[in-house]
Order: sequence, then C-alpha cells, then structure tokens
Amino acid sequence: MISHDANRRGSLTFVCYILVCLLCSQAKAADKTMATKVVLRDAPADRLFTLRVLPLLKIKCFGCHGTDPDDVRGDYDIRSREGLLKGGESEEPSVVPGKPAESPLYQAVMWDGIEMPPKENDRLTRTETEYIRQWIAAGAPWPDAETQLKIQQREWSVVENEDGVIVATSGGLADDWTYRRYRAEDIWAFQPLKKTDVEQAATAEQHPIDVFIGQRLQETELQSAPTADFRTLIRRAAYDLTGLPPTPNEIIEFQQAWDQNADRAWSDLVTRLLNSQHYGERWGQHWLDVVRYADTAGFSNDYERSNAWRYRDYVIRSFNDDKPYNQFVMEQIAGDELRPDDPEATIATGMLRMGPWGTAMVPQAEARQLYLDDLVHNVGQSFLSMPMRCCKCHDHKFDPLPTRDYYGLYAAFATTQPAEVDAPFLPEENRSGFAEKRKLVAELLEFATAERDKVVNKQETAARKWYADHDLPYRSENARKNDPETMKPPRHVGLTPEEKGILKVREQDVWIWERRLERYEPLAQGVYNGQDDFKNDRRLRPAKKINADWRPVNFILGGGSLEAPLKPAEPGVLSGTGLPVAAPSNEPWRLPSDLQGRRLALARWIANDRNPLTARSIVNRIWQYHFSNGIVRTANNFGAKGSKPTHPALLDWLTADFIENGWKIKRLHQLIMSSETYRRSSRPVDPRKQATVDSNNELLASFPTRRLTAEELRDATLLVSGELNPTQGGVPIMPEINMEVALQPRMIQFSIAPAHQPSRTPEERNRRSIYTYRVRGQADPFLEVMNLPNPNESCEVRDSAAVTPQAFTLMNSDVMTDRSIAFALRVQQEEPSGTGNWIRRAVQLAYGRMPTSNEQKTLHAYLTEMQGYHKENRPEPVEYPIQVVRSLVEEFTGEPFEFVERLNVYDNYVPDSKPWTVDADTRALADVCLLLFNSNEFLYVY
Amino acid sequence: MTTIPRRDFLFGLGSSLGALALTDLCATDLCATEQSTANPLAPKSTLLPAKAKAVIMLFMEGGPSQADTFDPKTKLNELHLTESTRTKGLETGKRFYVGSPFKSRKVGNAGIEMSEPWKFLAAPEVADELCVYRGCKAESLNHPEALLHMNTGSRLGGDPGFGAWATYGLGSFNQNLPGYVVMTELALPQAGPANWTNGFLPAHFQGTRLRSTGSPLLDLNPPSYKSREHQRKALDQLAMLNSQHAEQHPEHAALSARMESYELAYRMQMSVPGIIDIDSEPRHLQQAYGLERKETAAFGRQCLMARRLVEQGVRFVQIFSGGWDSHDYIEQGHSSRINSVDQPIAALIKDLKSRGLLDDTLVVWTGEFGRTPDNNYRGGVTALGRGHNVDAMNMWFAGGGTKRGTVVGATDDIAAEAVEVVHPIRDVHVTMLNLLGLDDNKLTYFHAGRFKQLSQFGGELIPEIIA
Repeated sequence: MISHDANRRGSLTFVCYILVCLLCSQAKAADKTMATKVVLRDAPADRLFTLRVLPLLKIKCFGCHGTDPDDVRGDYDIRSREGLLKGGESEEPSVVPGKPAESPLYQAVMWDGIEMPPKENDRLTRTETEYIRQWIAAGAPWPDAETQLKIQQREWSVVENEDGVIVATSGGLADDWTYRRYRAEDIWAFQPLKKTDVEQAATAEQHPIDVFIGQRLQETELQSAPTADFRTLIRRAAYDLTGLPPTPNEIIEFQQAWDQNADRAWSDLVTRLLNSQHYGERWGQHWLDVVRYADTAGFSNDYERSNAWRYRDYVIRSFNDDKPYNQFVMEQIAGDELRPDDPEATIATGMLRMGPWGTAMVPQAEARQLYLDDLVHNVGQSFLSMPMRCCKCHDHKFDPLPTRDYYGLYAAFATTQPAEVDAPFLPEENRSGFAEKRKLVAELLEFATAERDKVVNKQETAARKWYADHDLPYRSENARKNDPETMKPPRHVGLTPEEKGILKVREQDVWIWERRLERYEPLAQGVYNGQDDFKNDRRLRPAKKINADWRPVNFILGGGSLEAPLKPAEPGVLSGTGLPVAAPSNEPWRLPSDLQGRRLALARWIANDRNPLTARSIVNRIWQYHFSNGIVRTANNFGAKGSKPTHPALLDWLTADFIENGWKIKRLHQLIMSSETYRRSSRPVDPRKQATVDSNNELLASFPTRRLTAEELRDATLLVSGELNPTQGGVPIMPEINMEVALQPRMIQFSIAPAHQPSRTPEERNRRSIYTYRVRGQADPFLEVMNLPNPNESCEVRDSAAVTPQAFTLMNSDVMTDRSIAFALRVQQEEPSGTGNWIRRAVQLAYGRMPTSNEQKTLHAYLTEMQGYHKENRPEPVEYPIQVVRSLVEEFTGEPFEFVERLNVYDNYVPDSKPWTVDADTRALADVCLLLFNSNEFLYVY
Repeated sequence: MTTIPRRDFLFGLGSSLGALALTDLCATDLCATEQSTANPLAPKSTLLPAKAKAVIMLFMEGGPSQADTFDPKTKLNELHLTESTRTKGLETGKRFYVGSPFKSRKVGNAGIEMSEPWKFLAAPEVADELCVYRGCKAESLNHPEALLHMNTGSRLGGDPGFGAWATYGLGSFNQNLPGYVVMTELALPQAGPANWTNGFLPAHFQGTRLRSTGSPLLDLNPPSYKSREHQRKALDQLAMLNSQHAEQHPEHAALSARMESYELAYRMQMSVPGIIDIDSEPRHLQQAYGLERKETAAFGRQCLMARRLVEQGVRFVQIFSGGWDSHDYIEQGHSSRINSVDQPIAALIKDLKSRGLLDDTLVVWTGEFGRTPDNNYRGGVTALGRGHNVDAMNMWFAGGGTKRGTVVGATDDIAAEAVEVVHPIRDVHVTMLNLLGLDDNKLTYFHAGRFKQLSQFGGELIPEIIA
C-alpha cells in the first residue's frame, strides 16, 4: 500500500539519507566501503536504545516522569541519561550501567518492589522488559540526537520488516507515530479486498459460503449438523427477515411445498419474506440500533425531535426498496447536497441528527464541538466500522488513524449545521390520523397556555397596584426589565412561592406542546451548510441569511481541547485506507473546503467501491444479524483492538461479490440464506466435541440459537394474540406501558417531563415496536427490561442477558396480562367448540405446532383448575386517570408545590380487553396463554 | 453442548447455577481467580485490604452550596452585596457577592465548622464521625453532565455507575436482593437512569431502583386477583413446558438459566417486601429517623431502608435528595433542604454506629458541583442565590475507613476555588474504590477497543481522607 501512495515525509527523509551516502562516496570514491560503513555503523546498543528503549520510555514513562516539566512525579525526570542516573526523590541512581539487576528502573518495570507503570494494563511485556535489561547491560548508552535520527531514518526507509509494516498516512503529530509498525493482522481492514477464486475450490454443487465455512470445519474435523427440519427453518427465516413468527397457515403451506421440493420451497420462502413489507421493519431496526435512533434529544431538556419519525420511515423504505447500500450511505451523509430538491434525500440526513445533543447551560463553542465530535465518531463507527473517538485527543494508539484525520473529518462537517428544515410530505409517508392527533396536542397547549397566563395575569395585577401605590405609570414586564430596582415592583410580585414554580413549569409546557405540534408540519430533522451562529436547541432553524463566503477555521486540537489548537486542519478522509479522494495529487486526502460540497465529497469517498472499510462493514453487519455473530465479532470496530475475522477470505469474497453486484442487500440475504451453513440445525452432531473445539461456535458447525429481541417479543405477542395492526409508518405510536412508569415524574430543566399517554385506540397502539415513541430519558420498561439498547451509544449487537426483572415483567405486568387476555379471546372465538380445542389452538398459534399429548393433558388440567379459581376470584376494575397531580420542589424556596397535568387522551379512550371485562373462562385460558408467552420455546429461535 | 453467547448466561440479580464458566467476562486479573464461579454477583475477594464493605451515597441533587453548609467564610459575609469581579462561571453580566444567610459554628470535639441549619448533624456523636472534604473540583457546569460525572466518572452518559463498578468488582452478599440499589424522590434526577446504569458492564450490575411508592420493584407482584398460590401453580406449569422443551434442546445451556430466573423472581417476591417493611422497626427508631415529621418522612424512610439494605448485604445504596439548586432565595431554599435531610442522616450514622456497621459502611454526602460566592442579577433584580461552581464544592464521608472528625482540603477565603488538597472527581472515585479494597487501575473492563475504568484514564488516591 505504501509503495504507490506518496508518504511525502517518508520519501523525503529517505532521499536525504541516500544523498548523504552519495556525497560520501563522491568525496572519496576509494573509501566508498568505509564511508558506507560510517553511515551504517550503529552500535547495537544505540540501535536498541533508539528503536526499542526510548519509544518505550516515551509511551510508558514520560507521561508522568517527563513531558510536563512542572509536573514530574516523584521528582524523577527520565528524559535524559543524566536524569536516569540521578534518580528521583530517593536520590538513588535509577540505572546502574551494566548492572540491570541493581537498576531500580529495571526492578520497577519487572514490578519487583515498586510497580511501574502502575496500571496493570500498561505493564511492560516480557519482550519489553528484556529490551531494557539488555540496554542497561550494554552500559545504558544514550546516543545524541543526530545519531538517533540516523538510526531512525534507516529504519523508516524499510516499509516492512520483522517488526511489522509501516502504513502511509497523512502523518502523525510525531515521526515516531508516522513511522511506527503494525502487525499485518491488525490492519487487515485497511487492506484492499482479496477475492479468492472460490470456483476453483468448489465442487460443482457446493455453495461458495459452504466452501469457506467447510474449510475450517475440515481443519478441526468438526462434523456439521444436518439441515434443520422445515418447521425450524420457516420460523428461523420468518423471524430473521421480518421479526415476526410464521402463522400456522404459512407453516402448513410451506410444509406442502417442502414435501414436493425442499430447495424450491426454501428459495420461494426467502423471496416471499424479502418482499414482505415487514422486512424493512426488521432490518431497518438493525440500522436504527447502529445510528442510535430516538425521538428526543437527551441532555437537560430531552426536547422532542418531532420529525425524527420521517427518518425512521425513510430507513424502512430504503430496506424495503432494496436501495443500493452505497446510495443509502450517500443520502444519509449528504442527501441535501446530492439532491437538494428531493425531500426524501433531505429526510435521509436525519442520520446526522441522531446523537444526543443539547445547548442548555453549555457554552456555545463547546456545544458545537460536542455536535461535531459526535458526527465524526459515529459516521466513522456506523459506515466504516472505525470508531473515531480515540484519535480525538492524540494519534490513535493502535490503528493507522492520525489525529490529523480525525480533524479532517471534523472539518468536513464544520459547515454542517443542525436544523429543522423544510421537507414537503411524500405520497408514501403515512399521515393518517393527523387531524385527530394534532387536536389532542392543541388541547394540551391550550391548557398550558391558560395556566401560564393565569399566573402572569395575577402578577401583572399586583404590578399595576404597585405602580399605582408608588404613583408611577404601569410598565409591562418586558418594558420594565431594565428599570432600576426602586422604580419597578419586585420580581414575581404578588405571587406565592407555589405560583412562582407553576409559572416556570407552564412556560416549559408551552414549549413542549408547541414543539410536538411540529410533528404534523412538513419539516425534517436535517442539516444545512452555513456559518456558525448562536444555537438554542429549543428551536433550530436554518439561518435566515447564509454567508456564502464564510469558511470555518479548524485546528487539530491537542488533547481534544478547544483551548489547545496545534495545527490548522483541512477537510480530509482517513488516509490509512490508502484510498485517495482524487487522482494522484499533492494532497491525496484533502476534501474540498468550500462552504457547500464537503459532505458530498466525503460521502462519495466512503461509498467508493475501492474503500476497503465501507462494504466490508455492512456485509459483516448483515452476516451478523443472520448468524448472531459477525465474521468480525465487533461490527463497530475493525481496528486492531476489535476482533479479527474468523473467516477473512469469506468476508472478502462476499464483499467483493456485493460490490460487483451493485451493493444490493437483498441479494446478499439470498446468497447467505441459500447456503447449507444457514440451513443447519442448531443441534450439534457431537455437542461435547463442539463445546471443546469451538466453544464460541465460530465455525458454524451448527446454527447459533438466539433469544427474541425486545421488539420481536412484543410484536410476536401482538401477532399471536391477533391484535397486531400491520399499518406502516407515521408519527410515533404510544403503547400502553406500566402505569407507574407512564406517570413517573421525570426531571427536566425547570420542570417535569410530560407523562406517557398511550395512543387512544387499540388499533393505534398495537402496532409494531419500531413505531413506538423512543424517549432518551425514559425507555418503555417492557422493551428496556428485554435488553433494549441505550439510545446514546451505537449498538452493534443486542444483549440478551436473562435478568430476573424479565420474569417480573413477563409474568406480572399489565401489558402481558392484556396480551394473554386478547390471545384467549382470539382462541375462544376461533374454537368455540370446547376447551380441548382451546389448548390445541393456543399451542398451535404460539409454537407453530400441535401440542404433545402430555402438554395437551397437563395444560387442559391446568385450564380446568384455573376455571375454578377465577370463578372464585374476580378482578377489580381499574380506572384510567384523566389527570395527575405533580409535586416539585421549588428551587426558590426549597418547598414542594403541586400542579395538575392533564391526561386528555383518557377523555375518550378505548381500552384493550381487561381481566374485569372478560369472564372466568377467558381469564383461565389467559393463564395458559401467559405461560405460552413466557416459555422458552416461544422466546428462542433455533 | 453448544456454548451460549457470553452475555446470555448471566443471571440477573443472582442465581444459584454453578456449572458455567465466566471466562470472557473476566477480562482482568481481578476476577481471574473467580472464574470458577458462575454467578457474577457472588461475593468476590479483593486484592487490596477492604476497609468498607458497603457504600451509602447521599446525593444532594442540584449542587449544595459549600459556603452555606460545611465551608462557611467570614470574608464572604463581609463582601455581601458588593460588586464581584469574578469572571468564572457561566453567567455573564454584572455580579455581586452574596454572604451566607446562615450563621455557623464549630461543633463536636473535633470542631468541624458547619452552618446553623445543621442541628442533628452537629451533635458531637455524629459530627465527630465526619471527614469533610473541601478540595474537590468538578468539571461540568450543567446538572445532567455533572450528575453523570459524579455517578459514572464520565459526563457523556452511558458509562457504568459507581455501584455497577463496585458490584462488578465485589459481587454482593445477598443473592435474593439486588446488589446496587437506588432510591430517588418521586421525580427522577436529571439525566435519569443513566446515573445508575450498568453501561457496558453486563446487565446484572445495573442499579435497581427501589420505588418509594407503589410496587418497590416494577411488576414485582402479579395483579391482585392472582394469589401467591396461583403464581406457584403457574410457575409449576411453566416449568413443565420448559423442561419438556429443554429435553428437546440439551445443547442449549441458556434455557436452565432462564428457568432459574423465574424461581429467583418468586423468592424475591417474598424477600423484597420484607426488606422494605420498615414498620417492623421499633417506634423510637422510626421517630429518630424523622418518619413522623412531614419534612423528613420521605428521606428518613429511605435512610432507614438504606441501613436495612446494607445490613442485608447490599453493596451500594444511593439516595437522591433534589432541590439544592438555589440560584435564588438561598435562605429558604437551603434551610428547607437541610431541614429535610439533617435528622435522617444523623439518625442513619448513629444507627449504623450502634450496630457496629459504620466501621465497614462508607457513607458519602455530596452533590454534583458546588456553588459560586456571587450571583448575577436575575431579571434585573438582586437575587440572593448562587450559580453553579466547578472550582469548589464540599462533600463529606463517614465510616468505612475514613478519618473521623477531620476536615481535609480548603477553599480560598470566599469558598470560590479549592486551593488545598485539590483533586478532581476521579480521585474521589479512586479513593472510594480503594476503601472498598478495589484498585481503579485493575478494576477494568474491555469495551470498544480498550480497557475501561471508572476514572477513565486513571486517578490518584487522596490519602488524607483515609484513616
């Protein structure tokens, strides 16, 4: 890679070095050999010191015993031989030349007596301590700077040696970094794709994926599991592609087709599922996990991002339409520059608005930096599997990512400003129910405004009285603001402490409901290019006037601090990839630095066929969602500290194939799912051997089992209970959630966030979970307990730890009770003829199979027993509240005060069926249904 | 047997399963010795000698004012209402100094100075237990970030809370209760549950919020028309379904863990109500905690609960008290806040002491930052309050191996900036971990490409605090 890309400084020093040789040789041709010898003669100990020992001291010791002369720990300065010989506050020499064992420095790094460096993770390796030992043994020489430079330059001129390979980059802050060496396996992701000629290895009927997977299985002599049965396969494929289980009818149809021609049935099934509208809902969720989708902004106010739902629907549409991934990338980074008049492309830039961000009580420059840092890190992580945060403060410790490149990306976004931008609605966007929903919000706004005005009026009445008492003409609150204190009434005149608090609360309420009304406006959470100006995240709009001549001035920031600009930074890309922005030039990594077009150029570079990271990243993600683990298990991190690919040739082959065929994701699904590897049973042939040889199932001898995600679980219970409304898209829906949490007061600046009010009708509520309102400050407790990821961090893979609160939620919550009642009602309606059929139908709907005779018998007995129980035990009806009384401690007085929050959705609410609206038989059957939902068979996919 | 994904076999609030190895979880030497233990919350031994076994953190949300609590300054009172020339802080424009509305005095045998609203804490048998620290500097001026910083070591959110690190490092003594318990006021503090998240640590180390009203744990009990006997029968049926399924999938080890979690849930339905049933405490003790006074009842209950939890082996208990953000009317604001926590805290310390629990229970009183000596004109009016201050704050410790009856560190003569024994928050964290027998540099977890630690990049011990 280094061969063709000019590492200018590298070449330069190399040239100088040759020049020295030439000069010598010209000066005295006869002494040519000798002259060369002079230049090349490095005492081995000098070399050891320059190339091994000094870099170690710099990395491991100077941090505390060097760099900052005012803060040298233990009064021990080791930046020179003198310092080392002098020692620290103990005044004992730390190095005894020739005698490592007696040298405290060597003892310290061996953790013999004192422990240095003190952190376990920084501790020197055996090889490293050995360098120090040898160096001290050789007399601890410290060659002068000139000698060091010569030794280094010769070292740098060799791209690859036994220590590794030098990667050409735009250059680090110091030459040590620029010329450091990487182990080849650590920079695999930066290398161009290597497409193995798989046809050679494959026999005619073998699937390419099975060839690659088969190779490693053969090496370990693990026997692969046989093909799974049809029932397992349809359930696996349906959850995988749509996030929903197959219905009993779909299973029967598939079985019939399978019996005729299994291969054909399978490929038809995959095609049908890929064409299902639910495909985009399942795979869109994966992408929303990566980009941290939420409907609110987090930070102090957790302001609503009222139009974020349009980006969510854009993502779903893109997957359903099988939009080429490179186009998907370009639209999200620079849709507005790519197609300025296309609302779809504008909405796509919502990706650049996904991070938590706020301006309250944050100095403006710092808020701006927070925004840009977030973009750089997350664009790198999401599209390139290269988290960038590490090189914000310094050159990357492990990857060929100089901090210069961090600030290159930073500058690429430096003209990007977050704002709510105009984007006319598209015909394909779901705007149903807008009028009714808007009305509910307008009522709340009206209530808040009236409550606020009540207090303001009382205050102004008192103010009028004050002015009258003081024989002064009345002046409005705004007009008197700057009057001297003697010439105006006291602040909050006439108000009780309670009213003072209420005023603040209602002012905040007005803001909240005004924002929510924007949901129904043709706006998008997007970006525009323009100058830095004052930003208040309460209302973000494009600047009225764009200064076309404005150019940001960016710097590499030392330690990431705005106060420590080091060198100017220009827009640029990741040089370590070896992929230049444009044809060979002096500045191969530079992006345009106009006001407009920076992002588009960056997007083109990221979505380039030859970018070694982008396509690998998405192919690995797709693989991961199919098999629970990626070929690289750290889907967000392809760097040295990420996992290494388990099947590198397979990843490259798939990636090359993906690019050659137009970056089409559905084609990749088909390719993966048509392999034998995907269709394998989850039961190993020899479990014991597999557990020993391949405990993490990296080799895929059997199919990895997984638990349903939070969304899949909720959606599956709704589908099985017959309640799921499959409508797509639109403003966020509000499911019923635990009532205590729904009404739980939650502090925001000056006030309490509004309560969670469910959508009014079951049809509106019981939609797929991807459409639920995602609040950063408060997760839906049901989804949260089932391991919904934290929306502030990109989630590369879902956690599925089984924690006890899950049992509480799944057994006891109102949400699950309601699902089980609906499920029971459905079963009773479909099987009116008798309780025996109830059990059969319930098991069939939940498991996709008929009950065993034992299950039938025991569940029926349980049902009968519960029928008796519920005849004796009747539930009490629970009313929905129409308002909630809030209590807040008033900052001014430290006293609590109360105010009312209206819950107007309950004025005209349509509840789900509840335990007290059904009879004892239904409640008894619901007990059975609840157990089915709780059972492992329902929760796991094999 | 197919090995299940690492994160699948962690069983929540403890579990008795013993067969599974915990290799991947233990990325550090610290728990390398614990690998034979399946349960991530099983008690672990520490590398350093532990002085404290448990922590009770009393968090005064909003930023208590040092000059009006434990760091009074005469000089500031002299400057009252004179123009301030300080330029630090967030507010701009003209500013004036604000003297403390409270008198102060030296209390106890140790003579720790505190403001007069502290009445119960001033009793010698309580005050002489305190180690007041005046040298800490915070970093974030805004509440949510500062709260996150004090609780998770990072202002960005998403990192594990102190209690998560503590339970990760130490496990918990009681497997039928959560190891990390948080009690808030009715309203959650700013930044919400991110203050007690497990972050990137496994889900078991998440703080569990014990609710003060309603069900103590969400959905702890079934709807009221289902009896405990009903629940038992349901679980037996579920076990039947699950064991039949498990026979079909002998390769799938996660199944038994999930089955076990239902039984643990059933046991917790009994143990949790027991622990929160403070009516079983003697009347005089309830009175001592202030349960019969309206102002102190809520916080008093939580303090009493904290003692009961620690007694039962819970590792980390945190209680939030809100409303300390006195930009204005500081006299009413702070006196009312102090009044609401003073008696309960004093009772807690005495109660812990009388049971011999104080020696190994570290009590920490803190906020997220301190307050300024001056204020700006609010709406053009002289407002007697204070702004946010990251250069000075005060906190105190009691028990758990901290020095008794001591003041450590100092601020300048107007309590504007820490000048002696100055340390950032991370050093406080390092010190607290040290008291628990944990070394911040060794208590690490590999995440997103590097070994993460509570202090982020390492910190220093504050030896002056340690007895």
